[in-house]
Amino acid sequence: MDASALYALRDPLGVPAAPIIFLILGVLTWALHIAAVHILLGASGLTLTGALSKNPHWRRLADAMIGTAKVALSVAIVLGVAPLLFVQVVYDPFWYTSNVLSAWWVIGFIVFLIIGSLALFIFYGLNQSMKSGAKTRCPGSLIAAIAFFLVVGFIMHALSVQMLHPEKWMAWYAPGGIIDASGRSLHEYNFWRFGFFISLSVPVIGLWMIAYRRYIMGRTQEDSGYLDFLRSLSMKLIPIGGVISLVLLAGWMMTLPANVAGFATGIWPASTAAILLLAVALPFVLAKKLDQGYWGFAPFAFGAVALIVVAVMREMLRWVTLFGVHGYNALDYKLHMDWYSTLMFFLTFGVIGGGVLAYLLTVAWKAGQTKGVYTASPMVNRMGTLGISLLGIWIIQYFVIGLWVAYAG
Amino acid sequence: MDLIGLYPTWYEPGIGSGYVIAIIATIHVLFSHTAVGAALLFTYLAYLGYRDDRPELIDFIKKYGMFLLVFSYILGSITGPGIWYSTTVGSPRGISALIHNFVWKWATEWVFFVIEVVGVYMMVYLVGKVDKATYLRIAITFGLASFATMLAIVGILSFMMEPGMPEWTEKGGYLLGFYGDNTFAQLAIRSMFMLTITAVVGGIVVAGLKDQVFKTWLARRLAVLGIVTATIGMLLYPWYLSTLPAQAQIVMENRIPAYYSTAILSVLLATIAYFVFTLIKPRMLTASIAGFATLAILILGLFPGETIRESARKPYVAGEYLYSNQVIGKDVPGMTIKSEIPTLEKVGFTHASVFWPETQREITPQNAAEVGRSLAIAACSNCHSLSPTGIRPIASYFGGMTDIPRIQNYLIGALSTGNTMYMPKIPLKEKEAEALALYLASLADPTVVAKFVDEKTRAAEADAVKAAPSKPVAVSMANPLHTGSKE
Ligand code: HEM
Repeated sequence: MDASALYALRDPLGVPAAPIIFLILGVLTWALHIAAVHILLGASGLTLTGALSKNPHWRRLADAMIGTAKVALSVAIVLGVAPLLFVQVVYDPFWYTSNVLSAWWVIGFIVFLIIGSLALFIFYGLNQSMKSGAKTRCPGSLIAAIAFFLVVGFIMHALSVQMLHPEKWMAWYAPGGIIDASGRSLHEYNFWRFGFFISLSVPVIGLWMIAYRRYIMGRTQEDSGYLDFLRSLSMKLIPIGGVISLVLLAGWMMTLPANVAGFATGIWPASTAAILLLAVALPFVLAKKLDQGYWGFAPFAFGAVALIVVAVMREMLRWVTLFGVHGYNALDYKLHMDWYSTLMFFLTFGVIGGGVLAYLLTVAWKAGQTKGVYTASPMVNRMGTLGISLLGIWIIQYFVIGLWVAYAG
Repeated sequence: MDLIGLYPTWYEPGIGSGYVIAIIATIHVLFSHTAVGAALLFTYLAYLGYRDDRPELIDFIKKYGMFLLVFSYILGSITGPGIWYSTTVGSPRGISALIHNFVWKWATEWVFFVIEVVGVYMMVYLVGKVDKATYLRIAITFGLASFATMLAIVGILSFMMEPGMPEWTEKGGYLLGFYGDNTFAQLAIRSMFMLTITAVVGGIVVAGLKDQVFKTWLARRLAVLGIVTATIGMLLYPWYLSTLPAQAQIVMENRIPAYYSTAILSVLLATIAYFVFTLIKPRMLTASIAGFATLAILILGLFPGETIRESARKPYVAGEYLYSNQVIGKDVPGMTIKSEIPTLEKVGFTHASVFWPETQREITPQNAAEVGRSLAIAACSNCHSLSPTGIRPIASYFGGMTDIPRIQNYLIGALSTGNTMYMPKIPLKEKEAEALALYLASLADPTVVAKFVDEKTRAAEADAVKAAPSKPVAVSMANPLHTGSKE
């Protein structure tokens, strides 16, 4: 498929703001998405181990982590929607082709995700009291949940990789010159790449546990045996998982298609490896400090930054493949600047999103650290009232502008 | 270069991609409305629980909130992208049109969606753990964010039917595409519907209440809410219909089975009857009755509704410029979009399509049947199943006909001219029409292909001149489904 064909597939509507903005938002939100996925998979893995163990610390951890997994699932879904939106703004020719060519799998993605989520809920519903040492009921449901999540991730993986092979599309769509419109196959994948993204769950959940430990230290009379257990477990998971991830990253880079093989020795994989190493090392460097102030949260925060670098590398590979090899420049998309909707989004995102979430998360954080009923301070109450007012203003402007456009304009 | 950006087609021979999309859409509407309905009700109960200091209500929320809220929320939030994914594979350029026009609106909706998800967990986990005023603030924040997601999405849904304002075609821009009569009519109906669902779903919750006096009181309130909102919704329906484009009105009159509107009306009346029952005999309300009512109302009411919405915008899928078969059928000067029909008229699908097997760009007697199949996949299968099952099976429109020139004449006379009201204009070159006719004939009798090849080869051998194609003639096929002209 040559560049002119790829350009022909572009939506003639163009884009309502500079294409680079969509590209950047895509990278950032994907980094958040994959972080949530890592926490989901990591927490599910810990829950499974704990559920099958007799050790009371492990059981208590399992009890905490199933709650984490449940919320992480919701967050992973919500945060998956954003890159889903942005990828099809500037990479529509690739995303849509890849999807249509594996249409049944795209539908399967939804079905498997539903089954996986239900399985997770069943396990959760059946095991409300793991920490009291009650026998674990139906661990199979949790195993099934993890398996389905992996399948779901694998489908996303295949879709992402198929995008990068326009030269093979025609052979997939019409093998031997006869159209096969069934969409029943996944056509391209790379287990190293998939393994790399999944394996990052291990170090990430380790970093997450350090933060979790720091958080519960804030409560009074926390069991110090449990805190030590968390510490030694995460200090094991982080380096072991980190090394596995780096090996898989190397494998991925060595198996890149010949026409982009040079990418492997460039700046991006090297930076990614370096920052991952730093993220693994940080908890060891901080050592005792992890118990002081907010330092306990620093490793996870730094890990999140490292994931952004991973996301940038992933995007650069796409750029090098699609622009470098196939001549498609995502940044020269036709521009139909639309100021109103562009500004409205950034205002909504920054002011309402930021303001309201700050309020909600503050309350959640404080309530979690309070035994008994948490009573909000006047300051927090003001934040809440402000959030509600902002939402109200947004709704009013929606109607004022809308009615004006529809009936007065 | 005369290329137009047609994607590969996903064609599902069993039930047809249209039904796959409709099923997922129905499930999504079911769960998302249930979630919002349940959330509204829980907020109200929490308010009562705090106001009147009734800890048993708070306990009740703790017990059931988790299940109803989180469960329906998770399924709602998976099936939401589910619709998106299924339309992606069923109509990539359709979803692309919505995305490229409204990307910032989707992104704005996403901000509210994030707030909603955080809010729903907090409402479940923090009940009884934060002070009353804080809980209510969270609940109000959640409610407003939920409502805002609907506001953000409804204009996009309207655009599938028609651009908000007719001026959009000339002037373009987000505001003219998003806002219009239809947007507000849809918003009003959906809001009512959501409250009706709250009342039905609420039944499941109320059934679990122990305190009989309170149960009666709440069941009656919900019944009144249900009756009022269902009635207003019904009264708003004519307004909604009047905002549909003229084309859709004709399609609805001609193409939608008569029983559909009767079905919808009966569902509404049954809904009201159900509420009258719970109003009079609130104590008889059990979780299974309420659950059954919820399912019945949603499925019976939604599926025909979704199907009508899908049919009424034919031959377009979005913005009254993009045909169901993914071809751009009209100029949209406001967005510098040019119709692709002239290109197709000039070079045909075989040369204009990006995804076309190279061996099928030139039509020969040997590959004609295969080219015909490719054409059917590209130009027809979005709305017609090519097998006997699925949505509007194409073979059934030709009643077993195997007369290739006759089918070809019909294709050229009725489709290439755009003379069939609810179908896109489908320009076909002479040879393409013949190839497609051959394929359609072969659906009734597969042996026609060999005969066709044989005849053509012999004719070619006889005088080395290609068979003369028959002239297009005016069509009058005895086919009740393909009548009606576009005025
Ligand atoms: C348990 C659930 C999920 C898992 C394990 C998962 C995992 C992954 C992985 C591993 C990738 C990277 C693939 C690669 O580049 O090789 C990915 C990409 C992606 N995921 Fe997810 N995912 C999940 C759910 C979702 C959901 C629910 C959505 C959307 C609603 C979503 C949207 C995306 C998108 C759009 C990309 C690709 C973005 C791009 O190419 O720029 N994911 N996911």
